[in-house]
Amino acid sequence: MSEPILRLEKISKYFPGIKALDDVHLVLHPGEVHALVGENGAGKSTLVKIITGVYQPTNGKIYYKGEDLHFANALEAQKHGIAAIHQEASMFPELTVTENIFMGHHIKNKRRIDWKEMRKHTAALLKKMDLDINPVTLVKNLSTAERHMVEIAKALSIDADLVIMDEPTSALSLREIDDLYKIIRQLKEAGKAVLFISHKFDEIFEICDKYTVFRDGKYIGEGPVEESALDKIITMMVGRSLDQMFPKAEVKITDPILEVKNFSRTGYFKDINFTLRKGEILGFFGLVGAGRTEIMRALFGIDKSASGKVVFDGNLVTIHNPKAAMKLGIAYIPEDRHEQGAIQDMSITHNITLPVIDELSPFGVTQKAAEQETVQKYGTLMEIKAAGWDVAVNTLSGGNQQKVVIAKWLATHPKVLIMDEPTKGIDVATKAAVHQFVSSMAEKGLAVILVSSELPEIEGMSDRIMVMHEGRITAEYERNQVDSETIIRAATGNLKEQGA
Amino acid sequence: MKELLRKREFTLFVIIAFVLVLIVIRVPAFIEMENVLRIVNDTSILIMVSLGQLAIIVTGGIDLSVGSIIAFSGMAASMLNQYHPDLSVFVVLLVGIGVGTGLGIFNALVIAFGKVPPIIATLGTLSVFRGFTFVLSKGQWVTAHEMTEKYMNLPHGHFLGLTNLIWFGIVVSLLMYGFMRYTRTGREVYAIGGNKTAALFVGVSEKKIQFVVYTLMGVLAGLAGVMWTSRFAAAVNETAIGFELQTVAACVLGGVSIAGGSGTVVGVILGALFLGILTNALPVVKLSPFYQMGLQGVVVLGAMVVNSVSAKREEKKLLERRLD
Amino acid sequence: MKKITAIILVLSVVLTGMVFANGQKDASGEAKKYKTVLLVKSLGNGFFEAVRDGGLEAAKELGDVESIYMGPSASTAEGQIEIIESLIAQHVDAIAISANDRDALIPVTKKAMKAGIKVMSFDSGINVGGRLVDLVPSVEELIGRQQVQLIAELTGNKGKIGIVSSTSQATNQNAWIKWMYEEIKKPEYKDMEIVEVAYGDDAADKSYREAVGLMQKYPDLAGIISPTTIGVLASAKAIEDEGKQGKVQLTGLGLPSEMQHYIEDGTCRQMALWNPIDLGYTSTYIMEALITGKISGKEGDKVDAGRMGMITIGKDGLAVMGTPFVFNKDNIAKFAAMF
Repeated sequence: MSEPILRLEKISKYFPGIKALDDVHLVLHPGEVHALVGENGAGKSTLVKIITGVYQPTNGKIYYKGEDLHFANALEAQKHGIAAIHQEASMFPELTVTENIFMGHHIKNKRRIDWKEMRKHTAALLKKMDLDINPVTLVKNLSTAERHMVEIAKALSIDADLVIMDEPTSALSLREIDDLYKIIRQLKEAGKAVLFISHKFDEIFEICDKYTVFRDGKYIGEGPVEESALDKIITMMVGRSLDQMFPKAEVKITDPILEVKNFSRTGYFKDINFTLRKGEILGFFGLVGAGRTEIMRALFGIDKSASGKVVFDGNLVTIHNPKAAMKLGIAYIPEDRHEQGAIQDMSITHNITLPVIDELSPFGVTQKAAEQETVQKYGTLMEIKAAGWDVAVNTLSGGNQQKVVIAKWLATHPKVLIMDEPTKGIDVATKAAVHQFVSSMAEKGLAVILVSSELPEIEGMSDRIMVMHEGRITAEYERNQVDSETIIRAATGNLKEQGA
Repeated sequence: MKELLRKREFTLFVIIAFVLVLIVIRVPAFIEMENVLRIVNDTSILIMVSLGQLAIIVTGGIDLSVGSIIAFSGMAASMLNQYHPDLSVFVVLLVGIGVGTGLGIFNALVIAFGKVPPIIATLGTLSVFRGFTFVLSKGQWVTAHEMTEKYMNLPHGHFLGLTNLIWFGIVVSLLMYGFMRYTRTGREVYAIGGNKTAALFVGVSEKKIQFVVYTLMGVLAGLAGVMWTSRFAAAVNETAIGFELQTVAACVLGGVSIAGGSGTVVGVILGALFLGILTNALPVVKLSPFYQMGLQGVVVLGAMVVNSVSAKREEKKLLERRLD
Repeated sequence: MKKITAIILVLSVVLTGMVFANGQKDASGEAKKYKTVLLVKSLGNGFFEAVRDGGLEAAKELGDVESIYMGPSASTAEGQIEIIESLIAQHVDAIAISANDRDALIPVTKKAMKAGIKVMSFDSGINVGGRLVDLVPSVEELIGRQQVQLIAELTGNKGKIGIVSSTSQATNQNAWIKWMYEEIKKPEYKDMEIVEVAYGDDAADKSYREAVGLMQKYPDLAGIISPTTIGVLASAKAIEDEGKQGKVQLTGLGLPSEMQHYIEDGTCRQMALWNPIDLGYTSTYIMEALITGKISGKEGDKVDAGRMGMITIGKDGLAVMGTPFVFNKDNIAKFAAMF
């Protein structure tokens, strides 16, 4: 095989009180797509930052194209042909696509910035990526997925030899993910190296040639990506196997609790009909923007202009606001944990009791004892790890913050639990724990709506699957009655045979 | 966070003690009981209004119109006293508070229902209310001989060795402490400021909270207006010009995050006392008045830097612990 | 009752959300009246309200003049500049200004004069070049010396004296204070000294604090001179609250209606002020003379200023009105009713 483009030897990085990376190594060849796998906190992002010059390693050597190099900053790494696409888009919303793409490496014509040339390059680049975006559009007017594609275009614009992609697909729709695969294959054919970081095994198996596994800042192992490798990778990552990922228990599904009839909201969703039963996990699958979240928001009384009938526990109800929904017994764990979930500056106690603060405060005065009791109960149930219930949520790890959000909703004694992308961006171990929790809730007779864009999760956890496309339900399947391909066809509007 | 804030309050306490020592070295009489009470008395109005500002800043807003509310309600109360000297001062006090409340409600309506950002809305009402003060008074002052003894005694009277003004300050402080810490609404104030979306998801109404805090500010500013005019025995049109910035400074000094979500009553009281000590010390310390204003700025800025640096360090420690 | 109605009226306007535009509409009624503007340091000051009354009185007598009263809401040069800009746009005939800054207004007043507007200053002057005439209520020297004489009478020519001024850059206060230091050099004041000048910035709370500070810093303080209306009012209150009546004497420049209480109860037994009504009155007469071309503002010009008699323009366009008037227990009630 060819000379490696990047070779990391015995890299360590210490932060005060923590070893983020401990003696790891990684070898990357030209024309290779290499998956870097590991749980959150395994040290993947730290490694990316070391390669791109954002951090300096405490120990170890970096050989790039055979030379022993240390980049002082990201710009220097860029000049050497290393491009990185970060997890969160780092764009300037008020600037145009062209300006964003060429930020930091403007094309100049006799000391003057050559906008015409840059626009031409941008248009060509976007075309190559099959993107229908005008180079002079302001980035703030793009969708999240489009922004990510522009971010990728930006990385490609510097004609890099090594492209690092840190969870590039988390905000992309299936079609764009396909486009991304195409781009990666082009890069590979052109002899470039790609370091691909992802939580999603289907992606890794789709596109990657090799993998390296990190755990707790240490190198665990590596190997070629092949069919038999999956269990091996998972075991390396967490020390547990695939069937433990989706611990779905058989539950007796009983009476209907929530019936939604002809539910519509202009511009978002239309004619939604479904019935949810006690003990059931109802999966909602679809692409980003299919209208799933919007249905849940309307059900929960956040968006008010929906029409149609909602029958809850046999009674026709109108839900004007979240309070009314909570009173009925609906709990909604929203998608974005950081923005919509926990209140970072508040203590665990105050977060968990906030939805039930009315009941806990006779005459509007809060009762410490009652609050403590609530927190004790649900905090313990969720196994939140914290120094105490009075510490602020921002002192907790991401997984524990997620648990606080769930505990908060359990405190409302819900009969229906709506979970919107509950495992987005969290690591495998926490993911398994969340799945375990969902399953146990259903066992206790709770009805669960699971909104997810991850097909394995939907398939692994749901009793029934509702598939949505452009605001409508296009198909409904029973558990284990359908293959993945059919579901994806239904979600992309390409269902040829008659759906259910 | 509580732990952290307690530490921030402690830092501010240490800064106050340090500045106090510097002052006392120059002016030993400064620490005498009589003078300490004088300072507390002088700072009571600032404390009351800053606590109103605290609730607003915690929601992520700001009220720049407080100085004008104080001027208007103070003028209204003084004129009522002037033209109806036989009316009980208690009634005058209630009218003053009522007028302030009305202006607070006006702010609340514009912000909660008019959807105008607080800084813009109150910047507007800052001029509107000040303008109305001129209209109301026709540019005339109300001074000592036009006020009744009872009115002027409202802040000056003594009870258990403390002036009524100090008692008002204590009562307001206790009520605000209880409100922010032990009521459902107080909890919701922190929730809205800490994470608006998350608060909305659990059914906290932003409108309700905004309405409560701006109205509350009106109540406190109305009370402050009555106290201000009766204390100085003068209701002038320029009353409390620029006072809004002092209340914001007291909050920031007291560790209130301008982004909303955090801040405590104790911190704000300390912040206000710090400013009070400073403004009362400067005329006494033998220093050219030309340096005084600059010195005041330097000391306030220095306190803020020390305060926020120590908070940052505290935060860093917390984050490190979280990574372990 | 009228005031109560006013309060309710104003409140209801507030609640219905109408916005008050800060400015005054000129009653453009009969044609061919010269528009003369009295632009004061700030609105809401009793002294300047009296100036306005003098202007109205003169306008009535003259017949061909309309007197307009204006001022910014806070005493800033910026506020006055804005108003002058708008007056230029409105093509008024003359402006008499009590300036918040000696120099800052010059560019804009020059612009006004170029536009044909007659500009003069009164009370607090604009430097030469920025106006045609400067009407001085009294001479700075007389005012400053008189303040020392007044406090000396109260303290028996001895003791420590503190001054509570307005802002540290106030034009006339600084000039008066300079003359106070001159006067106190005289042998009869050998037992008196000015220990400090404090600045209350014309704010009630700061002036009060400064006065208290003086009394704390100099426990044997004999007297306070406060040559500014808010300052003398706040100082009086401070002396009263500190229980130092009779121990710390007070004089200054104060408005009779505002100081009546403290003059009658002995906190401030005497104080001085020129008559602001006369200032507005005389200014309006001078503006009329400038507009009609009776005078040009050069040295030696004479203006017939009605009941004030003949006013002669001196060097650099300086015109002097008279000597400050002393108010005490005996005459305060009469003047308090006027201004």
